[in-house]
Amino acid sequence: MKGIMIVEDETEVREMLKIALVKRKYLVLEATNGKEALSKFKPSVIDLVITDILMPEEDGLKVIMKLKELKPDIRIIAISGGGKAGPANYLNIAKALGADEIVSKPFSLKTLLSKIEELLDSKQNQ
Amino acid sequence: MEKYIDNHLYDHLVNNSRSMLSVISRNYRYEKVNNTFCRIQNRSSGSIIGKTLSDIWGEETFHSKIKNNIDICLKGNIVRYEADFEVPLYGKRFFEVVFSPLADDSGEITHLLAETIDITDLKVSQKTIREMEEEFKRLETSIPIGLIRCKPDGTILHYNSSFSKIIENDERENLEGLNLKDFYKEKALFDLQIFHFENEKMRTFLRVPLITCKGKEIWCRISRYIVTNKDTNLPLYIDFALEDSSREIMLENRLLQAKKLETIGSLAGGIAHDFNNILSSVFGYSEMLLDEVKNNQPAAEMTARIIKAILKAKDLTNQLLTFSRQVEQEKIPVRVKEILEEAIGLIESLRLPELKIDKIYRESDAVVYADPTQLFRVFLNLLTNAVESMKDSSGTLTVTLDIVNGEIVKKESGKSIVADDYILISIGDTGTGMEESVMSRIFEPYFTTKKIGKGSGLGLSVVYGIISELDGEITVKSEKNKGSVFSVYLPVSYEYTKDMTVSDQKRILYLSGDCHESRILSSALNKRGFIIDYKTGMEGLAKIDGKNNALPDILIFTNDPDNIDSDFFYDYIREKNINVPVILITDYDHDLSKEKLINSGIARNVLFKPVSLKELLSAIQLTLNK
Repeated sequence: MKGIMIVEDETEVREMLKIALVKRKYLVLEATNGKEALSKFKPSVIDLVITDILMPEEDGLKVIMKLKELKPDIRIIAISGGGKAGPANYLNIAKALGADEIVSKPFSLKTLLSKIEELLDSKQNQ
Repeated sequence: MEKYIDNHLYDHLVNNSRSMLSVISRNYRYEKVNNTFCRIQNRSSGSIIGKTLSDIWGEETFHSKIKNNIDICLKGNIVRYEADFEVPLYGKRFFEVVFSPLADDSGEITHLLAETIDITDLKVSQKTIREMEEEFKRLETSIPIGLIRCKPDGTILHYNSSFSKIIENDERENLEGLNLKDFYKEKALFDLQIFHFENEKMRTFLRVPLITCKGKEIWCRISRYIVTNKDTNLPLYIDFALEDSSREIMLENRLLQAKKLETIGSLAGGIAHDFNNILSSVFGYSEMLLDEVKNNQPAAEMTARIIKAILKAKDLTNQLLTFSRQVEQEKIPVRVKEILEEAIGLIESLRLPELKIDKIYRESDAVVYADPTQLFRVFLNLLTNAVESMKDSSGTLTVTLDIVNGEIVKKESGKSIVADDYILISIGDTGTGMEESVMSRIFEPYFTTKKIGKGSGLGLSVVYGIISELDGEITVKSEKNKGSVFSVYLPVSYEYTKDMTVSDQKRILYLSGDCHESRILSSALNKRGFIIDYKTGMEGLAKIDGKNNALPDILIFTNDPDNIDSDFFYDYIREKNINVPVILITDYDHDLSKEKLINSGIARNVLFKPVSLKELLSAIQLTLNK
C-alpha cells in the first residue's frame, strides 16, 4: 500500500483530498502545517507528499527542502492558490526546490489523481 | 513804512529761499547774491559781488556750462537747464538753472536773474526708481510664475512672458484686453475666486483647471491679490500669480493610483487565494460526486453544471491574480507587431462598416519578452474597448507602433527606474472619451462604465496586471467627446536569441478553426522548438488518416463548431483508430461529445479557454511524460 501525506492548513481541502485518496486505497497521513508534517513524516511509510505552500508554522517550501533531505526519492506535489515572492511565484520556486509536480488551485481532482498515479508508477520503475 | 515792510519781506524771502539766487550783469559779473548762494559757495557776499562767474565757477566750467546759456538769456529768453557743478560745501551736485532776463525802463536787457536749485536728491531718487523698475522687469520676465493684472471683471491689463508661456501663447498674440476668465475651464470658478472671498485680499487656489491657447487643459496653482481703492475700498485691480502644476499633480495622481491599485491588488489577491482553496474542495467533491451519480442522468447533468460554474469561478480568481501580478507568465521573445496584427485582424473580422482603422507602424521588428497569449489579451481588450466607446462603432481607430527612449517613459509615468528603450503601442479612438474622475479609476477591478452584464469590469485590471508584470507601463489620455488614447510601453528586449531549439524535436499537429489565439499559441510553440503543423478544418484532420502519414507526437485540438466539432472529431479518431495523445482546448460549455473525448481517454488533457502559453506547455510536458 502506497503512503501519501497531505500537508494542508485548509481543513476542507485536506478532508476532500483524504476522502478521495482513501477511496483509491492509499494510506493517508495528514498534517495541518509544515512543522507538524516534518514531525509526523515517516520515510518508510510515505511515498508521496502533497503539500500546500502558504501555511503557518513552516511553509511548504521548507517542507519540500527538508523532505528531500530526509528521503531523496520522495515524490512531492506542491499545490497553491497563487501568490508570489518577488518575481517568481511560489509554485515555480517549489519546482526549483525539488517538487515533482506543481498544481495551482482550484485543481481538477481527476488530473491530480492521475498525476499521483503517474509519479508513484515512475517510482516503482526506478 | 509800507515800503520798508515790503523790502524786508522780499529780503527775507530771497535770503531764505532754498535756491541760489543772483543778479548777473551783461559782463558776467555778480551784482547781487542771496544768503543761500553765499552758504553753498562758503563765501561772504562781499567776496562774491563784483567777481565774474568765471572767478567763482572756474574758467572751464563757465565756458562749457554757463556762458552760452547766459548769452541766450541776454537776447531776451528764459533759459532752463540741468547741469552738475562743483560747489565748495557739498562737492559735485546736480542743479537746475533758470536764467531770466531783467530789463531797465527802456526795455533794454541789462541784467539777468539766475536761480540755481540743487536737484541732486531728486536725481538720485529718480535713478533709484529707474533701477528698481528695471530690476522688477527683469524679475517679472525671468521668474517661472505667470503674473497678470486684471480689471475686476477679468480684462487683462498686463501680463508677463511666463504667463504667455504657461498659457501656450506661442504665436505671441497680444493678450491685453482679453478676459482672463476665458482661460478658465469653469468660468464660475473665476467669479468665485474673486468675489466669494472678497474680505480676504490674498487667497491661493491650489488646483484650477485652465485651457491654454492651444486648447490643452492644464492645472494651475493660482494666487490672487485684490488691489483696492484706499478711499472707497472698491477693487481697482486684481493681481494674479499663476503656476502650472499639471505635471506635479499628474505624478502625484499616478503615484496615488499606483498605490491604490497595489492595495486593491493585495486585497484581490488575498481573496482569490482563499477562494481558490474553497473552490478546490468544491471542485474535488463535485468530481467525486459525478463519479457516484454517473448512472443517474439528471444528477450527472446537475453536477456537471456545478463543475462548469467552478471553472468560471476559477477563471475569475485567475483574472484577479493576474491583476495582482501573482500569475507568472511564460515569457518568450515575441515580435509585438505580429500579436498586434492578430488582434486587429479579429476586430477587422467583425466587419464593422463605419469603422476605419489607421495603422501607423514606425517599427515592426521590435521584440519583447512576454507570453504572447497574454499580450494578445491586452491588445484585444484595448481594441474592443476602443471600438465600444464609439457610438455604433463609427469612427477611427488609430493604432501606432513605435520605439521610444526610456526618458519618455520616465516623464510620462513618473517612474524613477526605466529600461533603455520601450516599444510604444498606442490605441486611440474617436469615441465618447472619459471624465477625469473615470480615467483615474479605470484600472480598478470591478470599476466599469458599461451597463451591468456588458462587461466583467475586470478587463482593464487584467491588462494592468499583465503589463506591470512585464515591467511595462500603461497610460491613458482622454477628452470628453473626442476620444481616448491608451499607450502601452513595454521594455524592448535586445537579447533576442534565435528560436530556442530542443534536441528531441517533437512534432505537434495543431488543429483549430481560424482562430487568432490558436495561431499565436502555435507560433509560440514553434519558437519553443516544437515542429508545428498548424491546420484548420478537414484538411488538417486528413493529415492523420492513420495510413500513409507519420503520426504527430501530440495533437492539439481546439473545439470549434464552425470548423470541426468535437463530435465529428471523436467519430473520426475512433473510426480510423488513430492513437495520438490529444490535448483538448475548449470552453466551459458542458456537452456530451466533449465528455466522450475525455472519458474515452482520447483527450489526455483538457484546457479551458483562454489558454496561456504556460498552461499549454505544461500540458504538453505532462502528455509527453505519460
